[in-house]
Amino acid sequence: MIIPHLLSWILLLPMAATLFLFMIPSNQVFWIRRISNVAVLLSALLSAWVFAAYNHTAGGFQFIEKIPWVVPFGISYHVGVDGINTVLILLLGLCSFAGILVTQTIKERIKEYYILFLLMIIGTYGAFLSLDIFFFYFFHEIAAVPAYLLIAVWGSGRKEYGAMKLTLYLTAGASIALIALIALYHSLGLGTFDLIQIQQHLANHPLPVEIQNWIFPLIVVGFGITLTLWPFYTWAPVGYATAPTSVSMLHAGVLKKLGAYAILRFAIPLMPQAAATWMPVVATLAVLNILTCGLIALTQRDLKYILGYSSCSHMGYILLGLACMNIIGLSGIVLLMFAHGIMAALGFALIGSVSDQTQTRNLDELGGLTKRMPFIATCFAMMALACAGVPGFANFVAEIMVLLGAWDHYRWQTVLAVLGIVITAVYMLKTIRLAFQGPLNPRWAKLTDAKTPLQKLPFILLLTALIVVGCWPALILKNIESGIKPIAERIR
Amino acid sequence: MFPIIHWNLISLELLITTTIVLLVVIDILLPQKAKKDWIGILSFITLLILIGFWLAQHNLTGKTFGGMFIVDSLSWFFKGIFLLAMVFVFTMTQQFFKSLPGRRNEFYLLLWLALLGMCLIASCADFLLLFISIEILTISLYVMTAYLKSDKHSLEAGMKYLILGALASGFLLFGISFLYGATHSTRFEAIQGYASTHSMSPMILFGLVLIFAAVGFKIACVPFSLWVPDVYQGAPTPVTALLSVGSKAAGFAILIRLFFGIFASWHGQWHLVLAALSAVTMCYGNLAAIFQTNIKRLFGYSSIGHAGYLLMGAAAGSTLGASAINFYLLGYLFTNLAAFLVIVLFFIAAKSDELEDYAGLSQRSGLLACVLLIALMSLAGIPPLVGFFGKFTLLMATVQSGLVWLAFIAAVNIVISLYYYLMVVKRIYVDAPRNTSPIPVSLPTRLILGVLILGIVGIGIFQGPFLEAAMTAVKGMNF
Repeated sequence: MIIPHLLSWILLLPMAATLFLFMIPSNQVFWIRRISNVAVLLSALLSAWVFAAYNHTAGGFQFIEKIPWVVPFGISYHVGVDGINTVLILLLGLCSFAGILVTQTIKERIKEYYILFLLMIIGTYGAFLSLDIFFFYFFHEIAAVPAYLLIAVWGSGRKEYGAMKLTLYLTAGASIALIALIALYHSLGLGTFDLIQIQQHLANHPLPVEIQNWIFPLIVVGFGITLTLWPFYTWAPVGYATAPTSVSMLHAGVLKKLGAYAILRFAIPLMPQAAATWMPVVATLAVLNILTCGLIALTQRDLKYILGYSSCSHMGYILLGLACMNIIGLSGIVLLMFAHGIMAALGFALIGSVSDQTQTRNLDELGGLTKRMPFIATCFAMMALACAGVPGFANFVAEIMVLLGAWDHYRWQTVLAVLGIVITAVYMLKTIRLAFQGPLNPRWAKLTDAKTPLQKLPFILLLTALIVVGCWPALILKNIESGIKPIAERIR
Repeated sequence: MFPIIHWNLISLELLITTTIVLLVVIDILLPQKAKKDWIGILSFITLLILIGFWLAQHNLTGKTFGGMFIVDSLSWFFKGIFLLAMVFVFTMTQQFFKSLPGRRNEFYLLLWLALLGMCLIASCADFLLLFISIEILTISLYVMTAYLKSDKHSLEAGMKYLILGALASGFLLFGISFLYGATHSTRFEAIQGYASTHSMSPMILFGLVLIFAAVGFKIACVPFSLWVPDVYQGAPTPVTALLSVGSKAAGFAILIRLFFGIFASWHGQWHLVLAALSAVTMCYGNLAAIFQTNIKRLFGYSSIGHAGYLLMGAAAGSTLGASAINFYLLGYLFTNLAAFLVIVLFFIAAKSDELEDYAGLSQRSGLLACVLLIALMSLAGIPPLVGFFGKFTLLMATVQSGLVWLAFIAAVNIVISLYYYLMVVKRIYVDAPRNTSPIPVSLPTRLILGVLILGIVGIGIFQGPFLEAAMTAVKGMNF
């Protein structure tokens, strides 16, 4: 069965839901929740459909739709997916649905929350689906800015500081990248933002190296800020820590990967010569990411900060994979984006379900929670194992691929990166011991576990994805490889 | 021989003049104690008719008064901006004076006069006519700025605006006389002919600097922007709105005609100066805005910042640059007027323009908070709002002309401006309200707010036709 305009529907459903929400009075909580949940679920199902229906033997961009939008600039509404995008929208589908289920715990200003959260989801879908560089940026910004209000209004702790820092960092990065993209547009002289046309043109007429050499680092730094490139990672832990649960999930799980996606999609294949020059620098920064953030995570006492720094540290593997520029490394990072995204979303959802009841996330105050919350504790332990790269979970496969890819080019960086895995294991096991093991703090005698199937659903969904992909990576690797091959050929 | 006058070319201005005369007569005939705001209602209706008339003039081009008055695509575009801005300024005026004692009828007449001045500015093809039309606009603005006779801030603002405005007028005349001395003409066409065959002499340079000072006063660029914060704060809010949108657009209409038309051949000698002014202006406006505690003053500095962005287009010096200015002004109109309409409505309810009183606005009126949020985000340049595409086109033009450093300064400024806009957002959405009484908004006002939001979001998403209109306006420019 072929659904016409499949990709547009993925975008239109949440958009329609957002418009509906504007019109519903804010006391109709039931309908607000119902409409948002259904729209996000449908989009997620359609994403899964796209993932399943994508023909990976044919490869290339499929499900393409193109409508001219701003003719003088050669901007068109142009959506389509290749193997990479199918995996990323599947990731987004899973995380957004899990996130919107977790949003049930939001009790005040519900309508505004759902509108802003849907905007974030729309922006992220749009960015992953766009084959037009302008629209990629357009949607990327739509995804980035609602986080300010979501964090500042519904967050916790130093929420205004965290929200402002996150928004300003992301906007600064995006502005730098925007100028680089505009410079790319003008130096191509094609008068179009269409990615496919640009790729075809560049295949025969590569950009002069001196132009590549200054545009490339700007794109890497600009979008690298989204990816918490060292030293621009400080916004992320505080942002995630102060954000409400579902925003942390979506941000750490998916939005961050937009940066890696942009580098993989626009910087490396369009400017391969510059990439070869600059990538050793990126590899070094990647190691700094892994070690610095990993060591900081060791010292943290707040659950969300631990996971936040851990997430920044793991972005180092993605950067390292980007730097090695071969099929195995690049496939590894797409798999890692998926695995880490699911893992981070799961982690923040679990922490949210703990801290909603305890009102604290401090390791020193928690302890022995397994006795009261066996289900949550089990999930957390599995999440921690996945994070530490234990075989059986998707993260293991992905990290091995990245390390194998990196070994040929960057020996000592790879060795240090392996050290990072040890650090991860240390802080994750420490977290489990302090928060979930040991004697139960009497303050927590009244805690309740996730009981109803609906409460358990988000955790089960995400955990299943981690394990299934971990045991059967070929399920998504075949799509990933069909997407990576053309990029790897371009680099050669 | 008496020159032939093509009446159809000046019909819009004639209609505005007739309206002014008729409104004066009606004002005299109306009983003094008329309860209803008849002049306001009549003005509004007439304005809508005039907009229809303006639409019909789409393809009208030509010159009259011996070449002093020109109608082309550029003048048509800018007249549209002025008429559209007036629709919302009239709405604001109706609301604003509801809460204030004193006569408001003269205020409408002054607004009409300002409209006449702006329309003439868009159409002038002679420096003398330019001077006269600028004076028509500016003198009506002097009076309106000082209109609240019992408010000392308003009087102070009026006085400041008058003194600096008179100085700017003096500069303009002085500059024109130098230009006349060198080229022996005040006609744009003749001066353009001169500029394309001669290089810039020191005498002309001096004249041009003086003329630029006068234009810079209108568009509020550094160093001619000293009046802005005080006047924006003190003037009645509808006047502030008009200053920020109409008067600024009029300044850019002149700037485009001068620097992209008449002196286009000298642009190479100018563009670095314009680029430097642009950089300084946006940094000054945005940095100073961070520390403001009064929302109108904040918008004053923000307006200086936006003048800086707009000057990027002038510095680019290309057709794309001028088109970007046009598009940006169109978006800025909807965005800024939406914000000022909220400020007026808030002032009526709270009798305050202080930012601290805006705390918790979202809990007092969700609608007003939402409109202000959208306007602020559009000013900061967040998609899918129109301000984003405006900044995008300006950056496209800047990078195309090779001014990448200027684009980076703009990027820094976008982040700075986002900071202070978000601080306002924080106040209205995060902070707890001091006063929780809800602010009612009447149905007609809701409609107008809806139109403004539709403009901000609609143009922000369907940018194509509006960008093409902005480009056509520049391409069809005549002398």
